[in-house]
Amino acid sequence: MVHASGGRDRWSAPLREAPEDKRGALREALGEVLDPELPISLVELGLVYGVDFAGGTARVDLTFTATACPCMDFIKQDVRDRIGSEPWVDKVEINEVWDPPWTTARISEAGRRKLGRLGVGA
Amino acid sequence: MTAGDSTPTPLSRHILTLADTKRLLGIRYSDWILGSPSIETGIAASSMAQDEWGHARLLYAMLKKQGFDPFEVEHTRPAGRYYSAPALDRPFGDWADFTAAVVVVDGALAVALESFAAGSFALARTRVPKMLAEEEYHRRFGTAWFARLAEAGGDARARLNESALAMLPSTLAWLLPGDDVYDGLAAEGRVWEAARVRERCEDRLAATLARAGITLADVDPARDGWDADRRRGPGAPGEEAVERARGDRNRDLFVE
Repeated sequence: MVHASGGRDRWSAPLREAPEDKRGALREALGEVLDPELPISLVELGLVYGVDFAGGTARVDLTFTATACPCMDFIKQDVRDRIGSEPWVDKVEINEVWDPPWTTARISEAGRRKLGRLGVGA
Repeated sequence: MTAGDSTPTPLSRHILTLADTKRLLGIRYSDWILGSPSIETGIAASSMAQDEWGHARLLYAMLKKQGFDPFEVEHTRPAGRYYSAPALDRPFGDWADFTAAVVVVDGALAVALESFAAGSFALARTRVPKMLAEEEYHRRFGTAWFARLAEAGGDARARLNESALAMLPSTLAWLLPGDDVYDGLAAEGRVWEAARVRERCEDRLAATLARAGITLADVDPARDGWDADRRRGPGAPGEEAVERARGDRNRDLFVE
C-alpha cells in the first residue's frame, strides 16, 4: 500500500553530497515532514526529541501527542521516507519515546503562529 | 512464549493485570459512543475508549522485554487467561454503570499506574506518566458526572449508588490483592506498598463516592474465589468482548 500524506509535494530534493552537519541536515529534513492532522511540521509540533547519526544510520527519538494517536504509523512512514531519501543515509531508526510526556507547551513559537493563523489555539 | 501457556513472572503478571483491564475498559467505554445521554458524552466515551486502547498497547509492549510476544498476548489468549478487573466482565447496563466505572475502575487503575510509575521498572517510569496525563481528563469527566447523577437524587442517585457498590469490592481486591506476589513486587520496589495504594485510593475516590452516600473505608475487598494465577476474582470477561479485544473477526483483513 502506498502511503501519501499531505505535504510530501513540498519536500525538498535530497542533498547531492553528504553534509558536514548531518544532525542539522536531518533536523531540517524532519522540518519538512508535516503532522497528518495539522499543517505544521513534526519539529514545530515538538514531537522530535532527538536526532543522531552514526555509521550511516539516522536515529530519531520521536514522541506522539497521544498514546492512541491514530497517525503513528503514517508519521513513522513519513519520517522513514523523507530521511531515507537522502543518499548518505543507509538506515533510519525510529525510537519511540514517551518521556517527558508531550504537552502543547512543546509546540514552537513558529508552530503556534501557524496554528494561530488557522484559528487553532495552542 | 505466550501468557497462555506459561507461568508469567510477578512483574509480567502485574503488567497483564493493568493492560487487560485497560483493554476491557476501552471496549466497555466504546459501547456507549452512541446511546449515551448526549452527543458530547458519546464523544467523551469515544475519546476515553481510544485512550484506554493506546495505554493497553504501550503496556502490552512492555512484555516484550519480559520474554513475551506482545502480538500473541494481545491476539490469541482465551477469556479465561485474562487478568482484567472483574467489574468489566459484563457490559455496562446503563449510564450509571458507565459513570461508576469511570470513577471506581478507571480511578483504581490510575492509582495502580501511579504506583507503577513511581517504582523501579524503567519502562513504567518513562511511559506511564503520559498515560496518567491523559487519565486526568477521565478523572475530571467521571467526577463531574458522578456528582451530577448523585445530586439529581431519586432514581439517578440510587442507580449510581448501586452501580458503584457493585463494582467496588471486586475492584478493591483487584487493586489490592493482599497476596505474596504483590508484596514481593513492593519489596522489590516495583510498586508502592499496599498501605500506600489504599491511602492513595482513599485520596482519589473517597470524596467523590461520598456524594452518592458511599463510605469507601467501609467497603471490604471481595476475596472469595480469588484466582491467584490471574490475580483477580472468579469469572472471566464475556467471550464477545474478548473476541473484539483480540480482533478475531478481522484477523484476515489486516492487510499491509
